[in-house]
Amino acid sequence: MKTTTIFKTGALTLVYVGLLTCTACIPPTDDLSDTLVIGVLADIQSWNPYLAETKFSEDLLALIYPSLAVEMPDYHDHPPTFAPALATSWDLGGDGLGLTFQLRQDLIWNDGQPVTADDVVFTWEAQTSEDVGWYGAYTKDFIDSVEKIDDFTVVFRFSQVYAYRLMDANEGLILPSHIWGKIPFSDWHSTDWLPHVVGAGPFVPVGHVPQQDIVLGANPSYRLGAPATIDRVVWRIVPDQLSLMTQLLAGEFDFVNSLAPEEAQRVEADPDLQVVDIPHRGYTHICWNTTRPELADPRVRRALGMAINRQTIIDTVYRGYARPSAGPILSTMWAFDNTLEPLPYDPREASRLLSSAGWSDTDGDGTLEKDGRPMTLELLTNAENHMRQDICMLAARDLRAIGVEATPRTVEWGTFLSRLRDGDFDGSVNRWVEPTQIDLEDVWHTTPEAFESSNYGRYSNPKVDRLIEEVADVRDIDLQKELYGQIQHLIVADQPYTFLVEGRKLRAISTRVQGSIQNDATPYFNLEAWELP
Amino acid sequence: MGTAVTLLRRLALLPLLVLLVATVTFAVVQAAPGTYADTIDNPRLTPAARTHLKALYGLDQGARSQYFHWLGALAQGDLGRSFLFKQPVADVIATALPPTILLAGTALAMDVILGVLLALISARRPGGWIDRILTILSLGVYGLPSFWLAGLAILLFSLTLGWLPASHMASVGADRWAAGARWLDLVRHLILPASILGIVGAASTARYLRASLLDVRRSHHILAARARGISESRILWTHTLRPALGPLVTLIGLSLPVLVGGSVVVETIFSWPGMGRIMWQAAVARDIPVVMGCTLVGAVAVILGSLVADLLYAWADPRVRPQ
Repeated sequence: MKTTTIFKTGALTLVYVGLLTCTACIPPTDDLSDTLVIGVLADIQSWNPYLAETKFSEDLLALIYPSLAVEMPDYHDHPPTFAPALATSWDLGGDGLGLTFQLRQDLIWNDGQPVTADDVVFTWEAQTSEDVGWYGAYTKDFIDSVEKIDDFTVVFRFSQVYAYRLMDANEGLILPSHIWGKIPFSDWHSTDWLPHVVGAGPFVPVGHVPQQDIVLGANPSYRLGAPATIDRVVWRIVPDQLSLMTQLLAGEFDFVNSLAPEEAQRVEADPDLQVVDIPHRGYTHICWNTTRPELADPRVRRALGMAINRQTIIDTVYRGYARPSAGPILSTMWAFDNTLEPLPYDPREASRLLSSAGWSDTDGDGTLEKDGRPMTLELLTNAENHMRQDICMLAARDLRAIGVEATPRTVEWGTFLSRLRDGDFDGSVNRWVEPTQIDLEDVWHTTPEAFESSNYGRYSNPKVDRLIEEVADVRDIDLQKELYGQIQHLIVADQPYTFLVEGRKLRAISTRVQGSIQNDATPYFNLEAWELP
Repeated sequence: MGTAVTLLRRLALLPLLVLLVATVTFAVVQAAPGTYADTIDNPRLTPAARTHLKALYGLDQGARSQYFHWLGALAQGDLGRSFLFKQPVADVIATALPPTILLAGTALAMDVILGVLLALISARRPGGWIDRILTILSLGVYGLPSFWLAGLAILLFSLTLGWLPASHMASVGADRWAAGARWLDLVRHLILPASILGIVGAASTARYLRASLLDVRRSHHILAARARGISESRILWTHTLRPALGPLVTLIGLSLPVLVGGSVVVETIFSWPGMGRIMWQAAVARDIPVVMGCTLVGAVAVILGSLVADLLYAWADPRVRPQ
C-alpha cells in the first residue's frame, strides 16, 4: 500500500528528471564560424528608416540602405567632411542655393533594379511627408525642392545659404522608390516593412524574430565596395545589461556596443575579448538653476565647481575611463579652445569665493548662511543611471565639506525630465551627447518665453546670445573658431554648469574578429570589412 | 441550472469590470510624468523633434481626449498602434502571447505535478524528517527572489556545467536546422526559465496542499473509511486527495492571469519574448497603447480565471455548488 505511493512518486520524479537530463545533454550542433554574433539591449523598431527613432535602428538600417555621402569622423580638425557613396560628386552652384549631386550609374538594389535619381527624389518626398511624420524632417526645413535632372543627376534647391547644406541634404537613407512608391504614405504606419526591404548596402535582412534575433546576410550585389566578408551577422537581443555581460563573458558574443566602466575591467581580464576605448561624444555636468537666489552669483557657482573633486569621480565612478571636462564644446572637436583648463579642485579657494559672495557660517552649525538663509542645495538625477547617482553622492559629500548642505536626490526619468523643464531643481547631474555639428543655441541661448529648449538652468548672457547668432552666419572656419573661442570663455567664466567629465565609449570585441575600425559615428562603421579568419 | 445562471451573471459583468480596470489604468499611466517622446534614447532628437513626435502620436492632446479616442477605437475592436514597436497593439500581443503561454503553461504543469508530489510525500508522515526537510526547502525556495534563483541556475547549469542555454527561445543559427532539432532546441531553452517559475510555484502549492491534506485526514469520513478496511492508498488517492484539491484548484484558477501576463523578471533575465517583458518595456517607454492592451488582456484573464477557479472548486467540493 505505502509502497504503491512511493513507487508512483518515484516513477514520476524519475520521468521528470530523465526528461530534463535527456534533452539537456544534447550539445549544440551548429558551426558558427561564418556567423558574427552581436549582443544588443533592444530590438530594431522598424525596417523603415523614417519610422524608426532609436539610434540602434538607424545604425542597423545604414547597413542596408545607401546614402548619398558618408560623414567622416574627422571633426577633430575641422567641420566633418563627406566621402562619396551613392553620389560621386556634388557642387554648390554659384548662388549657393542649388546643390547638385552626380550619382553612380552602376548601383543596383538587391532585386536587380538600378538606384537612380528617382529614388533620391522619392526619399525627399517621404522625409517631408506629414503622413510619415519623420522626426528628422527639421533637417529639410530649408530645402524647397529636390529635382531630377536626368537619371543620375539631382539638384537640391535651398531657400537660404547656410553652413550645413550638404549635411542636411545628405541626412537620411535612400529608399527604393520602385517598390516603396507603390505604398501610399498614409499607409506607411500600418505596413509590415520587412517583406518590402530591398537594399543596396553591404547587408540585406535574412530573418527577424521580434525580441530575439535579427539576422543580416551579405548582399551579393553590393557595389559600393567589396562585398562583405562575413556571411551572416546575428544581433542577439538581451534586454538586461547584467545578462548581456554574463553571456559576453561566457563567449556567446563577438561584439557588444555598450559597456559600463566596471564591466570593461572584467572584459579586459578575458583573454578572448578586447576592450575598444574611444572618446565619447558626451559630457557629464551639473546644471545649476541660475534663477535660485543662492545660485545666481557666478562666484558661488565657481566655488561649488572648485569644491568638487573630479579626479575622485574619474577614479571611482569611471574607473579611469574619463577625463575632466573644461567647457561647453567637447575637447575632441575642432572648435574646442585649447587654452581652456578644467576648473581646479581647490576647496580653500572655493571657501574664499563663497565668503566674498557674502556666505559665512555665522551660527557655527557647520552650514554657510547669508542674510539668515542657510546654503541648502538638492542635487537631482535620474534613478536609472547608477553612475550619475554615484556622482551625486560624491559631489554632495565634497560640497558638505565646505559648508554647503547638499543632498543627493534621485527620481525616475520622466519625473526628472519634467522637473528640469519646469525649473524645479537646484542642481541636476545630467549628460549631453553632442552632434558632430556644433549647436550651442539649444542649451546656451537665453530661452524666449514659452519656448521649449534644453536651457534648463535658465542661463542668460546677452553677449553669449549675440555671439551664437553671429557665428551661425560665418562661413570662414578660422573666424568661426575665434567666435566659438569667445563663447566658450564667456560661458566658462559664468559657470552656469560645473563641467565634470568627458567619458569614454567602451565596447567589447572578440579577438577572433579582424579588420574592424572603431569610431563613434556608428559601432558598425566598416562591418562589411570585418573578418572571421 | 443554478450554475448556468451564476455563470451568465458573472460573464455579463465582465465588460463592465474590464472597462473599470482600463479606466483606472489609463488614469495611472497618464499621471506618470513624461511621454513616449521623452524616453527615446537618441542624441539626434532635438527638443523640436520631440515636440513633433508628441503631436504625431497625439500626446499633445489632453488626457480626457486621449482616453475617449482610445475608447472609441476599442469599441471598434481596435487596440491602437504601439509607439515603441511600430506595430498594431493586437500584433504586438499576438507575437508575445504564445511564448508566454508556452513558458507559463510548462511552469504551471511543473508547479502542480511537483507540488502535489511533495505534498503527498510530506503528508504521509507529518512531522517526520522528510516532511521537515521538505518544509524547510519549500519555505526557503518560496522566500527567495526569482531573479536570484535564476542567476544561480544560469551560473550553475549554463556557465559552469554548460548543459543548458542561458537565454532566448532558440540557439544562434537554429533557423538553419531541421524541424526536429529546432524543437529539441526549444525544449532545452525552455527548461531553465520554466523550472525557476515552476519550482517557486511548486513550493507554495506543496505548502497549501499539505495543510489541506492533513485537514481532510482528520475528518470523520477518513476514519469511517479506515474502519471499513479500505486500503491506505485508496484512502489517500480517492478519499483524501480529491477533497483536499479544493484550495489548489483555486490557486490554479488564479494563476491563469500569469499564464497570459507572463513574468517580468524571468522573461527579462532569460530574454524570453513574452507578455511580461513587452508590458515592462512598454511601461518604461510610456507606450500607452501597449500598456492598455496588455492590461485589458490581463483583466479579462483575472476575471475568467477566478470564474474557472470557482467552477473547478465546485467540481472538487460538492458543498460549494450553487443551489
